Formats: sequence, C-alpha cells, structure tokens
Amino acid sequence: MKIKLLSIPVNDQNQALSFYTEKLQFVKKLDIPVGGDNRWLTVVSNEEQDGPELLLEPAPKEFRPTRDYQKALFEAGIPYTQFDVDDVQKEFERLTGLGVEFTTHPTVMGTVKIAVFNDTCGNLIQMVEIL
Amino acid sequence: MNRYNREIAKIKDACYSKQWQLDTVIGIKPYIDNHYQDDLNLDLFSRIKFVSKYHLLRLYKRYYGLTPKQYLIDKRVEMSKVYIRDGMSITEACNEVGFESLGSFSALFKRKTGFTPTEFQKSNFREVE
Repeated sequence: MKIKLLSIPVNDQNQALSFYTEKLQFVKKLDIPVGGDNRWLTVVSNEEQDGPELLLEPAPKEFRPTRDYQKALFEAGIPYTQFDVDDVQKEFERLTGLGVEFTTHPTVMGTVKIAVFNDTCGNLIQMVEIL
Repeated sequence: MNRYNREIAKIKDACYSKQWQLDTVIGIKPYIDNHYQDDLNLDLFSRIKFVSKYHLLRLYKRYYGLTPKQYLIDKRVEMSKVYIRDGMSITEACNEVGFESLGSFSALFKRKTGFTPTEFQKSNFREVE
C-alpha cells in the first residue's frame, strides 16, 4: 500500500487551482471531468513532482457535513493540513507580498517554526520549517 | 486570538519552556544537512554544542523524535536517491553520501525505501524511458 494522494476540501475548484498554482507554486497534475462541473483535480509540489498528489476536492459544495467540519476548523483557526518549507519567514514575506492573509505569523514552537495562512478556499494551511 | 493560537501558546509553555535545552539541539539538523558526506558522530556534535554526548542524545531524541544518527542515515539515503536519479552509479552514490561500505549502504537503502539501490535505479531508468 502506498500514500499517493491526499485531499483537501475546497469551495471552488477554479479558485483553488489558481491559489495553489499561482501563489503556492504547485503544479497541476490531473484534471479529469467527473460529472456536473466537478473535476478530479490534483496538484503536486513544484519541488517534488513525483511526490504525493493533493486532490482539490469539491466536497463542501456537495456534502453538508464536510462543509460544517471545514467551517468549524476555519473558525477555530485550526489548519486543515500542513506543508514543509525551507524558510518560514522568507515564505511568509513572499506570500504576504502576494496578498495572502496569515492567521498565525511566524512563530517558533520548540524545534520548529510555523505560520498559518488562509488558502481562500475555506481552509487554513500551516507551513512548517524544522529548525 | 483564535483557539489555535491559544493552544500554541499553551503548548509552548507546557512543552518548550526550557530554552537552554532547545538551544542545545537546534542547529544540529542544518549541520547534518550541510555535512552529511563527512564522518559525523555524536562526539563531534557534543563538542560543537559543549555538552555530554549522552545528554545531547537524550535531548535530541526527545525534541525531534529520532537520534542524530537516525536523521543522518535518512538524509544520506534521501541524497543517494537524488544522485542515483541524476545518473550516478550506485557505488559512486554510496561514496558521495558518506557510506564506507556498499553492503551496509544497500541494506539501509532497502530498509528505508523498500527497494534495493539496483531496483530503485532500474525503476527510475524506466520512468525516464
């Protein structure tokens, strides 16, 4: 068994694709229609294009419990998932310059540095640098 | 302040209040990242950090969840994958990342990745084709 795919619920797949490719510099991997205007839409890290795919899943649009769960996490400021970066401060400054909103500014937590931003698709994402 | 930021503040107080302990272990990971080809060992790290090696070992394991040696092995295996993908021979990659014995390198590679270096090399070659 392999970990090939992880998913993240997004309110709007077009907006999510723009954010994840233009702001986070991920790369689109698969884009397959799956009925209605929904797509099997995955992105990968630009730095690890053979790594796990991230599915931008339109679940909140279709399934109320997913929407409620996503909303509850967001309102509590709890990140849905996290991505590794080499330098949190540098990435914070780059993303802030692109208009990305942060709910947790760069903070040292023991042996890691973290920051949390809004992905504009209903989720908070944590980035982490291991010190 | 949202709930998450309050939780972070609580965890910082509860788990990460001993700054001198953190200062002892922080910096070893980037040192390993930059010197993984060299003959690194706990004696060297303890000299760099001015603490006993047993104390350093305990602290590192506590805060990072693995020992410096385990992290060094992970780093070397990860870098050897990069070198093999780039076309280096297995023996060259083994030497390049600081392993002295091809046998121990192959065994560790298999344990960490699930493939022998040769299997890994072949699978990547096929992908390129």
